[in-house]
Amino acid sequence: MEEVEKRDEGSHDGMLEGGVEVRVLVVDDSPVDRRMVEVLLKKSGAMFQVTSVDSAKRAMEVLGLSEDKTKSPVVDDQKVDIILTDYCMPEMTGYDLLKAVKEQSCQKPIPVIVMSSENEPQRINRCRAIGAEDFIIKPLQTNDVLRLRSYARTGLPPPPPPSSSSKAGTKRKMTIDLLAESGGSGSERRRPRLTGLAMA
Amino acid sequence: MSLMALREQLNVLVNSMFLEGLLDQQFRQLQMLQDASSPGFVAEVITLFCEDSERMLTELTKLLDQAVVDYQKVDAYVHQLKGSSSSVGAQNVKLACIQFKQFCEENNKEGCLSALNMVKHQYYSLRSKFDTMLQLEQRIQAYGSEQQN
Repeated sequence: MEEVEKRDEGSHDGMLEGGVEVRVLVVDDSPVDRRMVEVLLKKSGAMFQVTSVDSAKRAMEVLGLSEDKTKSPVVDDQKVDIILTDYCMPEMTGYDLLKAVKEQSCQKPIPVIVMSSENEPQRINRCRAIGAEDFIIKPLQTNDVLRLRSYARTGLPPPPPPSSSSKAGTKRKMTIDLLAESGGSGSERRRPRLTGLAMA
Repeated sequence: MSLMALREQLNVLVNSMFLEGLLDQQFRQLQMLQDASSPGFVAEVITLFCEDSERMLTELTKLLDQAVVDYQKVDAYVHQLKGSSSSVGAQNVKLACIQFKQFCEENNKEGCLSALNMVKHQYYSLRSKFDTMLQLEQRIQAYGSEQQN
């Protein structure tokens, strides 16, 4: 697993100057999915520096988070710009990890995007309710990955993907209605990609 | 055999796998991620998938061999196998896993055993074609590196 370098703080103006890479921590217990996401990120042309781990526990170690909540984490020294985690993992789930990250007392917890093969509104709502920036249905595609940079850089909502089946125009909203139309999980192409309300 | 002929053979094989439902469009995504900077990517992912799948099939066989089946554990493995088969575009394996999950949810042992057999059948059919694919990929890559020397 590669070491992540400390990022130059202050690049929050939308465009990363000087080719600063976005440091992504990928968390997935499936070796196949880990590799797929790693390569997708690296080949997207969007300058990601990828670290991947096979468990949420390991992710906590990388992030310097302790499961003992009486200890305050070293949160000013963030090594990771964005976390991309699978939802279903043994022992500690992606949801547990998301919760732990968002419970940090620092001003700006790291953005967390949750991935899942299941297109379940309840699951998506749960994640959004505790602060997940986005929820992506697996398998990931290139345009899913390109959106990640926007979360890491500015915290503002990314523009909608041009080729998506979005009905929402330039605004993105909880698309429970689209879910009902798409017939739920099990379809061979996971549409739509569901996100929460991204307006401040 | 010439490089062109090898590529043609590989294309014919892959196309037949699409037609038979062994692969779906997600496999095309995989292929698109392979390029000069990562020439062995498809082979790498296929190999990972096969190792991981066989490990899970072994565990599933053991779990269903128990007098009292732990359906939660069975479901966890089937879920993961479904996920990885979906990620590589292994369509028939994925569909068989969906059926398997159904039986798991019903705690139906007979159904699970039958579904496991189906998953194995689909997986090994795919595996045999993947083996041929990897051999062709290797020969194509070898051609490429010979030409560079």
